[in-house]
Amino acid sequence: MFYLESLLIKGFRNYHYQQLQFNPRLNIICGGNAQGKTNLLESIYYLSVTRSFRTRRDQELVNWEEPLFYLKGIFYKYDLRNSIRISYRKNAQLKVKVNDKAVSRYAHLQQFPIVVFSPDDVLLIREGPSIRRRFLNLEASRLSPQYFEELRAYQRVLQQRNNLLKKLYGRGSRQINELLEPWDETLVSLGSNIIHTRVKIIKYLEKEGKVFFENMTSSRETISLEYAASVEYSEAFNETKEIFRRRLEKAREIEIRKGSTVVGPHLDDLKIMINGYDSRKYSSQGQKRTAALSLKMAEVSLFRKEHNDCPIILLDDVFSEFDEKRKMHLLDFLRDNSGQCFISTAIGIDNLLESISSDYKTISIHQGRASDEVSRPGN
Amino acid sequence: MVYPGHLKKLVEALTRFPGIGQKSAQRIAFYLLGCSREDVVAIARAMVDAKDKLGFCQTCGSLAETDLCIYCSDSKRDNNLLCVVQEPRDVLVLERTGQYSGLYHVLHGALSPLDGIGPEELKLDRLVSRIRESEIREVIIATNPNVEGDATAGYLARLLNPLSVRVTRIAFGLPVGGDIEYADDLTLSRALDGRRVI
Repeated sequence: MFYLESLLIKGFRNYHYQQLQFNPRLNIICGGNAQGKTNLLESIYYLSVTRSFRTRRDQELVNWEEPLFYLKGIFYKYDLRNSIRISYRKNAQLKVKVNDKAVSRYAHLQQFPIVVFSPDDVLLIREGPSIRRRFLNLEASRLSPQYFEELRAYQRVLQQRNNLLKKLYGRGSRQINELLEPWDETLVSLGSNIIHTRVKIIKYLEKEGKVFFENMTSSRETISLEYAASVEYSEAFNETKEIFRRRLEKAREIEIRKGSTVVGPHLDDLKIMINGYDSRKYSSQGQKRTAALSLKMAEVSLFRKEHNDCPIILLDDVFSEFDEKRKMHLLDFLRDNSGQCFISTAIGIDNLLESISSDYKTISIHQGRASDEVSRPGN
Repeated sequence: MVYPGHLKKLVEALTRFPGIGQKSAQRIAFYLLGCSREDVVAIARAMVDAKDKLGFCQTCGSLAETDLCIYCSDSKRDNNLLCVVQEPRDVLVLERTGQYSGLYHVLHGALSPLDGIGPEELKLDRLVSRIRESEIREVIIATNPNVEGDATAGYLARLLNPLSVRVTRIAFGLPVGGDIEYADDLTLSRALDGRRVI
């Protein structure tokens, strides 16, 4: 069991000073709009990932009346108490201390795993392929530590190769092949590795996501995932490499004209289908949200299978667009999931919570302050 | 910060050294001021002399005090074996092993279109004609194990293929005397790829 027991927030977003205690299972953060519900989730996320899910700039996170922000969380992991303290001052390096020991932010990452779902995640369905590639890359890096290194090397080869392609226009074909081949070789072997890891992660995600999606829709709808590759990959690794190589050879002329690499995993996409139709084009807002949530919850299930433990789940404003049935299914999932969860909501969900038999805590937020904390013991 | 003019100039000059920042430069500057004049002149002379007297070998491109480096002019070395490296300092590292007794060829870089370095810049045609005119039977490619070094190795392998020489790539893997548990993932996986029968 892994959970956040308490949190101290100083100078973060609209919070000046706030001490909070949490339920090891379910925590409902309620309050009107623009009071600080998401900011609270963001601070929890930051403690785990040393990054916000809303902005890349740490400066924005500091309260405008304060010189710095300071977060302290007490996490329990395998029954052991861990204190995490993070402070950030403008133009200074971020300080992360775990149990009074200074650690680098990269070493800290993934030590206290967390999964967030926010309204922006619907972009995963609606936007272009790059956001889905980023999602895949993140998931694959979690599954295979090598993936991240391979991806970095691949991007480097790509840069070098594209630069070379721009200089080749008008040269003889023998010389062109001679110059390109050494780069092709690394591109193909790294690229094929990337494709295969992605295909593997997609299979896992699909399996878990399907269960969640079908539950949410009372089995009336179904989701499937497909890797849309610019190289037709094969089950056999060496065959994928061969196909990739042939595709590159065929694309020579176009590549030189365009001055860039036109096949490879940097152009691929994750196709998300609802009832067999491309969800990007043919789906309602509610379906998109359900599909995006399914991917995130698949991530949770996957993590649980691999580590035998649950990540903390943050759900930002998840109830606003779902009907009663979907809300119930989601709460059921969270109950069965057995990990800790934080849900922010601007609408009352008391009637829903009545019907699930687990204890939870409600925290009301008003203008960057928490008030009237209510705990309810389980039935 | 207000400095006397000559100190400022010295500190400024010293910060050009790799790995030397403002603070280290100041320390070195004050050290020099504390030295006797003879010592400072000797240090300065050592720099100027190194610059004046050291050049690159006409044949292999490693550091040399005459037209030919000490490796190329040494008749005891194995002239069937040639090791291709990226930088002159790589030669020193290989020499330190005491293991290698063949000849060298320094490329002075690796293929990197982003930096405008192609086969012409590395003067690879000179490498080819050198091999053609010599008794070299094996070429060991010891470029760095990164994207650019690997591409250079791949290019060389193709280029040297028509010549009747054996082309090998230096092995990658675990540091000797270390523990497997401390190896990073990529090194370990390359070491697995490069395993061999014992």
